[in-house]
Amino acid sequence: MYTRLSLGALSIAMSVNTGTGVSRYLRLYRVLAQALLERRIGAGEPLPSEPSLVREYGVSRSTVRRALSRLEAEGRIVRKRGSGTYARAEGRQALSRSRAPVLDDAWGLPVTAAGQTLTLARIPTPGFLQIEQPEFGRTTLLIRQIRYLEGEPVVLETAHVPEEIGARLTRGRLREGGSFLTLLAKLGHRSSSVEREFAALAADPTAAESLGMPIGAPILNVRALARDSQHRILAYLNLCCRPERYEARVAVELREKAISSGKARLRSLP
Amino acid sequence: MNEAPGSRRSMRPATRSGARSNRRLDDGVTRYYRLYELLLVALQEGAIAPNTALPSEPTLCRQHGLSRTTVRRALDRLEREGRIVRRRGSGTYARAQDPRPPLCLELHALPKTLAALESGTTTTILSLKAAPVPAALRAIATGIGSTAYLLERLRCSRGEPLSLTFAYVPESVRGRLRRPLARASVASLIERLGPPTTTASFSLGAVPADADTARRLAVPLGSPLLRLRAVLSDEAGRLRGVLESFCRSERLQLKALARAQG
Repeated sequence: MYTRLSLGALSIAMSVNTGTGVSRYLRLYRVLAQALLERRIGAGEPLPSEPSLVREYGVSRSTVRRALSRLEAEGRIVRKRGSGTYARAEGRQALSRSRAPVLDDAWGLPVTAAGQTLTLARIPTPGFLQIEQPEFGRTTLLIRQIRYLEGEPVVLETAHVPEEIGARLTRGRLREGGSFLTLLAKLGHRSSSVEREFAALAADPTAAESLGMPIGAPILNVRALARDSQHRILAYLNLCCRPERYEARVAVELREKAISSGKARLRSLP
Repeated sequence: MNEAPGSRRSMRPATRSGARSNRRLDDGVTRYYRLYELLLVALQEGAIAPNTALPSEPTLCRQHGLSRTTVRRALDRLEREGRIVRRRGSGTYARAQDPRPPLCLELHALPKTLAALESGTTTTILSLKAAPVPAALRAIATGIGSTAYLLERLRCSRGEPLSLTFAYVPESVRGRLRRPLARASVASLIERLGPPTTTASFSLGAVPADADTARRLAVPLGSPLLRLRAVLSDEAGRLRGVLESFCRSERLQLKALARAQG
């Protein structure tokens, strides 16, 4: 994964790709931007040459140039005439290093500054929720917020809350910041268990617009179901997070007993 | 462009400004893909329930200000992906959910759920060799060293790729790592090589597939992949290994359950 920017990729990946709806230049741009962000191409180091990018990704010279021009315009690379293209120390990647990452609350959900509330409304419970969590009644409260950190949108949060739980939620309370579950706890609904589910999604138009990202760019999606000590549902959260600002964390203690049962299984394998 | 006049405006979801969406059209995303995305979300979230009809092609053209060709392209893709059915003379219908649920890995119930995942999947060893450890992994796994023993594997279910894993094991732990261990999980492999691994710290992110990963996982270049990184340590806090996995999250669900203390 790391050393292969310069070799071995061939055109197979691109040929699978026709008809994805996202142009080649944009896909090449994203792959290179990610390599720069992760410092697989460190500051001052050269990028692969234009001809080798053409060969490796099976795209035209003009596609390669378009991707590089955009990186240059964003200050991520410098093109030196007669010498080549180099990763820059300044620019977005250096900036993202210095910015504080988004922190987790006790439940492993992102804590941000106050959000901008887009929606606070009573709606008929959406079909997917009725199927997944039949305990939700016919109507639920829908709260959609863009959450910011250092003035930048980092999380688009959609919460579905049973009506009786969200009765005291107001736009004023939503402005307080912290995580949504902290807010519910302040209103007397303390979470007792939270199940999180993780996925990588292509940004849909709403998420892209809210987070200031291109449509189709990867976003980290965290869906969380919070319950109280009586096992009542408190909230179903759907968080679309900017992946360069937020990583979800899970720490696991592997118990002795579970490990030995795992071992027993392994021995029976051929 | 073969779309009808006014198409730019009409693709705009209700909450945003026209100027910004116009700019997005130059962002390398095609019109058909936007419609495809909108319909996909409606289908996934149940706004268009299973077995109910989608708006007709002429209606979609009118609503979104798109040409018939563009609308058809979006519907073709949804049909190919098995999300809708087109019935001649009747219309287009949302298909019921895939009867085969995606595979699931519950991080809080490791290694038990790993064993379950292994029984339904196959793995291929792509490489097994000494290799430099990427800087990003060295940063989270102090003490791994600049080179380690790399095991690179591809996990498939019914022939379809699920995840690509790069596991780095310090030379001291390498021990009896040999090829015949094809189906075991990386974590269980490390388990067998020495004192028990007692803690695992995971971090999960989303990344675009680069050329090589895209090819291995049979996805388009730049597709979103769930990246799972794990640092494994033993009781004394000694590093047992670090791994990085790229998962197709539509096929492999990752979950974690947390409970209040006490």
